[in-house]
Amino acid sequence: MRNIWAVCKREFASFFVTPVGYVVVGIFAAVTGIGFTASFLFYAKVSVNPSAFAYSNVPDFEETLLGPFLVFCGLLVMFIGPLVTMRLLAGERNRGTMELLLTHPLRDREIIFGKYLASLGMLIVMMAIVGVHLLIMAFYVNVEPSVLVFGLCAVFLMGAAFLSLGLFVSAMTNNQITAGSLTFGLSLVLYVIGTLGESLPKKNPAPEAWAAGLRNLAGTLYDFFRSLVQQLAFDGHAKEMTQGVFRPEDVTYYLLITAFFLFLTFRALESRKWRA
Amino acid sequence: MIEVTGLSKYYGPIAAIEDVSFSVAQGEITGFLGPNAAGKTTTMRVLTGFSPPTRGTASVAGFDITKDPIEVKRRVGYMPESVPLYPEMLVAGFLEYVAEVKGVPRSHRKEEVGNVMERCGLTPVAKRLAGNLSKGYRQRLGLAQALIGNPPVLILDEPTVGLDPQQIIEIRRLIKSLAHEHTVLLSTHILPEVTMVCERVLIINRGRIVAQDRMENLAGGFKTLIEVEVEGPDDKIAAALKGVPGVQSVSREAEGRYLVEGPSNVDLGPPVAAAIIQANLRLRGLQKRSRTLEDIFIGVVSGEEGDQS
Repeated sequence: MRNIWAVCKREFASFFVTPVGYVVVGIFAAVTGIGFTASFLFYAKVSVNPSAFAYSNVPDFEETLLGPFLVFCGLLVMFIGPLVTMRLLAGERNRGTMELLLTHPLRDREIIFGKYLASLGMLIVMMAIVGVHLLIMAFYVNVEPSVLVFGLCAVFLMGAAFLSLGLFVSAMTNNQITAGSLTFGLSLVLYVIGTLGESLPKKNPAPEAWAAGLRNLAGTLYDFFRSLVQQLAFDGHAKEMTQGVFRPEDVTYYLLITAFFLFLTFRALESRKWRA
Repeated sequence: MIEVTGLSKYYGPIAAIEDVSFSVAQGEITGFLGPNAAGKTTTMRVLTGFSPPTRGTASVAGFDITKDPIEVKRRVGYMPESVPLYPEMLVAGFLEYVAEVKGVPRSHRKEEVGNVMERCGLTPVAKRLAGNLSKGYRQRLGLAQALIGNPPVLILDEPTVGLDPQQIIEIRRLIKSLAHEHTVLLSTHILPEVTMVCERVLIINRGRIVAQDRMENLAGGFKTLIEVEVEGPDDKIAAALKGVPGVQSVSREAEGRYLVEGPSNVDLGPPVAAAIIQANLRLRGLQKRSRTLEDIFIGVVSGEEGDQS
């Protein structure tokens, strides 16, 4: 147990002794700041004169501002997360310190959880920045605090899932740049697949000419495929939670993804030992 | 303390080490010699738990490396060949991290780090970034990292490579001082180092152990060699030389040049000279040469001399 903390401490400290930590926090602060300001100003304009923007009433705050902003923050973690995760395990291989890590009396779980916790630490710093924006929001708008809390949770869960993906990719590669690019690419696919999911038609694509039984089978498979694609979208499950609606399935979704990639990281680390 | 039986490690079809068996007793300093790519680093990596073996068993301090790797790692201080460090950490900070990971209790940590730094001469650079260290200090930090926690077994992979002569002397002195308290297995290319520091020697070549003995017994021990340049008929020279008491072998190197072998504790120079003069042969030159570990090593590794003890 103590070792998890030792690994975490060392890793987290290294984020702030090298430029990585400052770059990540800096970029995150700048982009969320700009995003927040821009959307807030836009909302202000719309609420004053809704008809000019083709709204019949003043649009709902949570739906048009808070929700999209928080989802945006979560996706920003997708862009920036790889910078944090790419060095976690691939960096050890790069620098040759894997030989130290694996010959010290550290169990696999201590290494993996220690490093994951360090990356979550960075996520918490980013949450603090989002928290500042939310506090400003709360000052000007009447929102229930629980809405803001759930919103932050949503971003945290999304971020945690992206980071676990990053850790897994880092465990699989020898090179930090490869790890970073691959993580980014995979996250992007998982995000963009959401747009595809929305566009996929409900109708069974099997042509009329086919036999009824075959059509039914094709229909079931297609439905499965369609719902899978829709479910895979990373931001899909955040939409409701960012507006303050707590749905256990959303939380479960992100926790499951995180658990899945952490499990894969364990296997990846194990297999690396047998190969090298 | 270290028991290795039938250890083999394959990378695909290639055997890095094959059927390696040896043991190192407690408190011994054993030198691990071999040409490049002989399998020294591979063996050390298996012993420290970095790579799993394909076959065979290895146990350190009574624990099997495949069954109880954590127990082995707690008792081993390993200095890898590449001396890996975290360049962004301070020297003292890095050693404190290693102390924490190795289980040194918090109350003792600073003291332990201070002691090890003192012993390895790192105190002047305690607050320097590990990435900014010169080669000499880097090696010392690698050794210090292995010493933290006072592990009973030390496995050092080429600890003096790249150091200047003075630093080498210091490190060797340090390693020698570790004997008896610690069991040390160190690998090196520098043969005089083994002669100076180690009590036992293991020679590995192409993945197999080819020699394994105490220094003095190794391949018949160190002999004295006398090179004589003599003018005269070959048979007469050979007879005269063979007649000298204590001579173990006589071999002809070239026209008029002979090599006489004898045990290291007997000075054959004067008797050989006397024998040649008595036989009315012209002695043109006489030179003593010691058969060093280098000769034994090259002989064993290239398989030219069929040396037996």
